[in-house]
Amino acid sequence: MMMEEFLILNIIFIPLIGALVLPLLARVSARLRNFCAFFFIAAPFIFSLKLIPLALAGKVIIFCKPLLFGFNFTLQADSLAVFMACVSSLVSTVIIFYSLGYISHYKNQNEYYSMVVLFLGAMMGLVFSANLIFLYLFWEITAITSWRLIGFFRQESDVFKADKSFLVTVFGALLMLLGFIMLAQQAKSFDLPIIKLALTNTPVSNTALFLILAGILSKSATLPFQTWLPDAGVAPSPVTALLHAAVLVKIGVYVFARLFGATLVLPQVLHLWVPVIAVASAIVSAGAALIETNLKRIIAYSTISQIGFIFFGLAVGNETAITGALLYILMHGIAKAGLFLCAGIVEQNAKTKDITQLGGLIKTMPVTALAFLACAFSVMGIPPFGGFFSKYLVFSGAIQSGQLWVTAAFFVGAILTILYLFRVFNMVFLGELKVSTAKEGSFTMVSSVALLGFLSLISGILVWYPLFFARFSALEMLGFVR
Amino acid sequence: MMHTLVLFPFFALIILNLPLRVIFRRLSFWVVFALSLIQIFLVFFPQNAFWGTHFNFLNTFFRFNLSADGLSMVMLLSIGIVTLTALLVARQMITDSDRMALFCSLLLIAMAGMNGAVLVRDIFSLYVFLEITAVASYIMIAFDKNIFSFEGAFKYLVLSAVATAMMITAIALVILFSGSTEFYLINYAIRASAHTSLIVLSLGLFLCGFFIKAGLIPFHSWLPDAYSSAPAPVSIFLAGIVTKTTGVYTLIRIFISIFGFNGQSQRILLLAGIISVVIGAIAAITQKDFKRMLAYSSISQVGYIILGLGCASSLGIAGAILHIFNHSVFKSLLFVNSAAVETQTGKTNMDEISGLGEKMPVTAVTSTLGALSCAGIPPLAGFWSKLLIILALWVGGLHVYAVVAILSSVLTLAYLLSIQRKLFFIKGNSEENSQIKEAGFGISLASTLLAFISLATGVFFPFIINSFIVPFGKIFGRF
Repeated sequence: MMMEEFLILNIIFIPLIGALVLPLLARVSARLRNFCAFFFIAAPFIFSLKLIPLALAGKVIIFCKPLLFGFNFTLQADSLAVFMACVSSLVSTVIIFYSLGYISHYKNQNEYYSMVVLFLGAMMGLVFSANLIFLYLFWEITAITSWRLIGFFRQESDVFKADKSFLVTVFGALLMLLGFIMLAQQAKSFDLPIIKLALTNTPVSNTALFLILAGILSKSATLPFQTWLPDAGVAPSPVTALLHAAVLVKIGVYVFARLFGATLVLPQVLHLWVPVIAVASAIVSAGAALIETNLKRIIAYSTISQIGFIFFGLAVGNETAITGALLYILMHGIAKAGLFLCAGIVEQNAKTKDITQLGGLIKTMPVTALAFLACAFSVMGIPPFGGFFSKYLVFSGAIQSGQLWVTAAFFVGAILTILYLFRVFNMVFLGELKVSTAKEGSFTMVSSVALLGFLSLISGILVWYPLFFARFSALEMLGFVR
Repeated sequence: MMHTLVLFPFFALIILNLPLRVIFRRLSFWVVFALSLIQIFLVFFPQNAFWGTHFNFLNTFFRFNLSADGLSMVMLLSIGIVTLTALLVARQMITDSDRMALFCSLLLIAMAGMNGAVLVRDIFSLYVFLEITAVASYIMIAFDKNIFSFEGAFKYLVLSAVATAMMITAIALVILFSGSTEFYLINYAIRASAHTSLIVLSLGLFLCGFFIKAGLIPFHSWLPDAYSSAPAPVSIFLAGIVTKTTGVYTLIRIFISIFGFNGQSQRILLLAGIISVVIGAIAAITQKDFKRMLAYSSISQVGYIILGLGCASSLGIAGAILHIFNHSVFKSLLFVNSAAVETQTGKTNMDEISGLGEKMPVTAVTSTLGALSCAGIPPLAGFWSKLLIILALWVGGLHVYAVVAILSSVLTLAYLLSIQRKLFFIKGNSEENSQIKEAGFGISLASTLLAFISLATGVFFPFIINSFIVPFGKIFGRF
C-alpha cells in the first residue's frame, strides 16, 4: 500500500476506532482520556496537512476495495477533499481543546468525547468517500453523533430538540438515498469516478437531483429545512460550534460541491433554483437573527444565512465564485466557531443566553470580547479579515456571470449580517455592566477563542495561501487541471 | 448428521424428564446452553463433515429428508442465537429451579421443531414441525399462569388453529394435484400441471395461513397481545425467532422451493408487506406500553421482509433473508432491554418511567444500538438489509413501494426515539429512581452480545459479504 493511502486510512480510522477506545481509556484516568481525545482529533489534522503538497501537485489518490452489490469502499483524495479535511480538522482541533475546559464540570464526559471524536472520524470518511453508499453511511453517523450531543444536558426539551434534528436530517438523508439509488441506476455504479464518466453527456433525471438537494438542504439547515439548527443551540457550546456552525452544516455544502461541481456538470435546474433558495434562506434567517434575543440562536440563524452565501457561490459555478465559496467554508468555519465558543464563555460565566440581560462584558472579559469582535468582523466581511475575501469573490463571480438581481439581494443579506452582529456585540459587550459576577473563562477556553480570532485576522492578511489552495480546488472541480 | 439437530433436543428432553429427573433437572440450563452454542458454532463451518454425511442407520428410523441451503443456515444461526438469549434472560428472571427446568424443556421442544422446520424438504413434515413449535409456544406464553398470559396464549391458539386448518387443506390440495409431498416433486408437478385453479387455491390458503403465523396486517390481532402478555424471555423467543420461522421462513420457502413467483402472488406479497410496514409503524407510534410498541414494530419489520420477498429477485430475497437475521438480533435485543427495564422498575408504561440512562448504562447503550439498527441507520446491521430491500424494489421498477418503504424508516425512527427519549435519554426523577440499578449479569451479557453482533454485522458487512456470507450461504447464487 502506498504511503498516501495509508495516510488517508489513518485520517479516517484513527478517530473512528479512537471513539470506541475512549470510554475504556477513561477507566484508567480522565486525563488520559482527554489527552487521547485531543490526539485522535489532532492527528487527522496533521495528516491532512501532509496531504496538501500532493493535492497541490494535482495528484488524485484513489483507494478502492471492490465489494459486492457495487458497495465498493472507494476513497478519493483530490484537492477539494483535502481542502475540506484540513478545514474541518483544524476547526475541530481548536474546539476539542476548548472543550477540555468547558466540559470539565459536567456529567457524561465519556459520551461527549466519544461522540465528538466519532463525529470527526465520520466527517473525514465522508470527505474522502467516493462511493455514494459510504457517503450516506458516514453522513448518517454524523447525524447519530449530533443527536446524542444535542441532547447532552438531558433536559426533556433538549432531548425533544435532539430528536427533532435527528428526524429532520434523517428524513432528508433518506430522500437523498433515494436520489442516490436513482443516480446509481442510471450510471450503473455507486462510484463517483464512474458516475462522472457515465453521466458527463447524459442529463440526470430532475427527480433524482431534487431528492439529493433535499438531503443536502436538510443537513445544511437551509430553507425549508432550517428549523432544527436554532433549536440545536441547546447543546453544549463547543458542540454547537463544531456541529452546527463550523463542520456539520458544511457537509451539505461539501456534498453539493462534490456531486454537482466535481462529479456532474451543474444541471440547469439547480443553476436556476439553488440561488433562489439560497437567497431566501440568507435573508429570512438574517432577519430572524436581527430580532432574536437568545445569543446562541442569533449565531445559529447567522449560520443559516451564511450557508446561503456558500450555496450561492457554488451554484453560480464559475471559477471566481467557486473559489470564493470554498474560501468561505474556511473563513466561516473559523469565524463562526469563534463566535459560538465566545458565546459559550459568556453563557457559562454570566449564566444566561438572553442578550437583553447582558451588557458591558468587555470590562470583565476583554479577551473574549476582542476575539468575538475579530470573528464578527470576519463574518461581516470587513477587510482585512478573512471573511472579506471570500465574500468579495462570491459577489465578484456572481456579477461576472451576470446574476445581478440575486447578487443585489445577497448584498442586502450582507448588510443585515453587519447589523445583527453589531447589535449582538453592542448588547453583550458594550454598555452598562449588568452581570457583575461574570469573569473571564478558563485558560484553555480563552486561548482557543483568542486563537480563532487571530486566525480570522491572519487568514485575511495572509490570504494568498488558502486562496491559492481554494482556487486550485475550484479549477480541478471545473476540470481545468488534468 | 443434520438429523441430530432435530433429534438431540428431543433426546435431551426425554432424558431430562425421565424418572431420574431430580438429578438431571439441574443440568437442563447447561444442556440447552450447549445445544444452542453448538448449533451457532456448526453454522460457521459449512464445509464441515457434519453437513455432508448421512447415517443410513438414522434414515431407517426417521424418514424425513433434510438438507441445508443458505436460507436454512441463516435460520439455524438465528435460532441458535435467540434461544441462547432467551435462555440467559430466563435464568435471570425465573428463580424457581423447577420452573426453569420446565422452561428449558419447552425451549428444547421449540428448538427441535424449528430446526426441523427449516431443514425438512417435504411439506407435510414441515407442517408437523410447525405444529410442534406452535404447541410449545402456546404453553410458553401462558407460562406465568395469569389472566393476561392465558388471554394472549388463547388468542394465539385460536388464530393458529385457523392457520393450521388452512395449511392442512392446502397440503391436501397439493397432494391431490401432485401426488407427493416432496418440495421438488410438487414443483415439477406445478410446472407440468393443468390444475391451475387448484394450484391457485392451495397457494392462497398457504399465504393466508402463513400471514396469520407471521402476524402480517390484517392477520395481526393476536400478535401484540401474545408478545406483551408473555413473560419477558418468551417475548424475546417469540418475537426473535418463532414467528419468523413459522410464518416468514415458511413463506419464503414455499415460494422459492415450491410455487415460484408470478405476477399475482408477487402483487399480494408486496401489498401485504407495504401495508404491514406502514400500519405497523403508525400503530407503534401510538402505543404507551413499550412491549406493545415493540410488538407493532415487529409487524412493521416483517413487512419489510415480505417486501423483499415480493421483489422476486435474488437481490430482494437476499435482503429479506438478511433482514430476518438482523431482525432476530435487534428485536431480541430490544426485548431483552425491555425485560431489563421491566424487572428493574416493574412497569411497562413509558410515561411512568424516565431517566434510566444513568442507572442502567448497559441497557441504555445497547438499546440505542438496537433501536438504530431497527430504524435502519448506518453503520448498524439493519441498514444494509433495508438498503438491499429498497434497492431491489427500485431496480425491480416498484418505485412507489420503494418510496413508501424508505419514508417509513422515518416513522420507525420516530417511535424508537420516543422509547429512547422517555426511558433513557431524559434526566429522570432522582428520588423515584434511587433504588434502580443495572439488570443482572445474564440480561446484561445477552444484551451486550446482541448489540455487538448488530454493530459488527453492520460495520463489517461490506467486508463479510464477500468472504463470509456468500460462500457460506450461497444465498445469492441460488435463485
